[in-house]
Amino acid sequence: MKAGLPSLAQAESRNSHLASALLLCYGLLWIWLAIAPVNRRDWLLENLLAFALVVLLVLTYRRFQFSDVSYGLIACFMTLHAVGAHYTYAEVPFGFWLKDLFSLSRNPFDRIVHFAYGALLAYPVREALIRLAGVRGVWSYYLPASLILAQSSLFEIIESVVAAFVSPELGNAYLGTQGDEWDAQKDMTSAFGGAALAMIITLTTSRGLKKTA
Amino acid sequence: MWSRDKFLLMGLLLWYVALSIWTAQSPTDPQFWLISSILPAAFVVGLIATHRVFPLSHASYTLITLFLTLHAIGAHYTYAQTPVGQWIDQVFHLGRNHFDRIVHFSFGFLLAYPMEELFRLGAGVRGWLLYYLPVMTVLGLSGLWEIIESWVASAVHPELGITYLGSQGDIWDAQKDIAAALYGALLCVTILAAVRAVRGTLLPSQARPAIADSST
Repeated sequence: MKAGLPSLAQAESRNSHLASALLLCYGLLWIWLAIAPVNRRDWLLENLLAFALVVLLVLTYRRFQFSDVSYGLIACFMTLHAVGAHYTYAEVPFGFWLKDLFSLSRNPFDRIVHFAYGALLAYPVREALIRLAGVRGVWSYYLPASLILAQSSLFEIIESVVAAFVSPELGNAYLGTQGDEWDAQKDMTSAFGGAALAMIITLTTSRGLKKTA
Repeated sequence: MWSRDKFLLMGLLLWYVALSIWTAQSPTDPQFWLISSILPAAFVVGLIATHRVFPLSHASYTLITLFLTLHAIGAHYTYAQTPVGQWIDQVFHLGRNHFDRIVHFSFGFLLAYPMEELFRLGAGVRGWLLYYLPVMTVLGLSGLWEIIESWVASAVHPELGITYLGSQGDIWDAQKDIAAALYGALLCVTILAAVRAVRGTLLPSQARPAIADSST
């Protein structure tokens, strides 16, 4: 199961340019979206974790470099989240467009980003598990999906705590339930579905690589 | 053949089967009892089937039996009407039957160790991940449980919705349940780490061979 690893190691020497380019692009986009968000306090709440993640990635860059693919996926997710935070999720124009197109009852952008959380971050999580913890075999596909689901659950708990205690009136905007009692469960399902999909794709493509190599 | 070890395992199994038969007698809500008994039954069958290939320690089997016992009692009384929970409600004036929350907590507290064992011996996980993964697995499974609950609730009893779920009218019930399991798992892992720190085996550098040979 070490098939995918040599290429990752080779990629390490090159990806300094890509990582800094992604960071620069994300930084510019982030600043642009930070200028006039729809709701400043909601924007701040949404960005606490995102900011922490970027700082963590920058600080650990010298010790542990992800592959180009992983940095690309993480940057995609962070971009989606930055857009969502700017529009407080429930008011993202693209979501309204989708809502009209498929005649949905709610703006689906937050659900899409929950799905993207699983679909885009399961691969980097798998990479970290393989290279840092020596996870092998079936476990390297199972654990990322399990961890995404767990983090999703943790996120829903944090969301509910924030909503209930920190700011009850802002709670609803931040929570983004849009009046759905099963919102938390659906969010977790999206993330888990995304992670499962990403792991299936990883499994099939890495098998494919092994055959050709 | 029938060593002392086997007696413990057979005893646990007998206890659980006897308890299941007993709690199957006139449950408060037969349909609820049936639905909540599917997963434990599958789990027990799975444990028996994998016993030869991957035997867990006696501690793990005992913890699992304890958890299944709590769940069987809850299933019999549809959780929200469990006498112990009602008694606790009256003594501490909680306003709600907390037996389900207790069982969610036990899910984390009692099953984190079997999971740790599975990761240690089954997956060869080492170092701090050994404490992190069981906690996250409990968290993930709790999330999955709440998802399944919501599906069952909206498929079987769409009109009952939140009542069926045993949320007892609390919109944050799912989150609180998951949090309870998380606290249970954290406590279990903390105790485990403390015990190992005292013994000087906090971070076992190498997975030890599976459970001490039980064919004595």
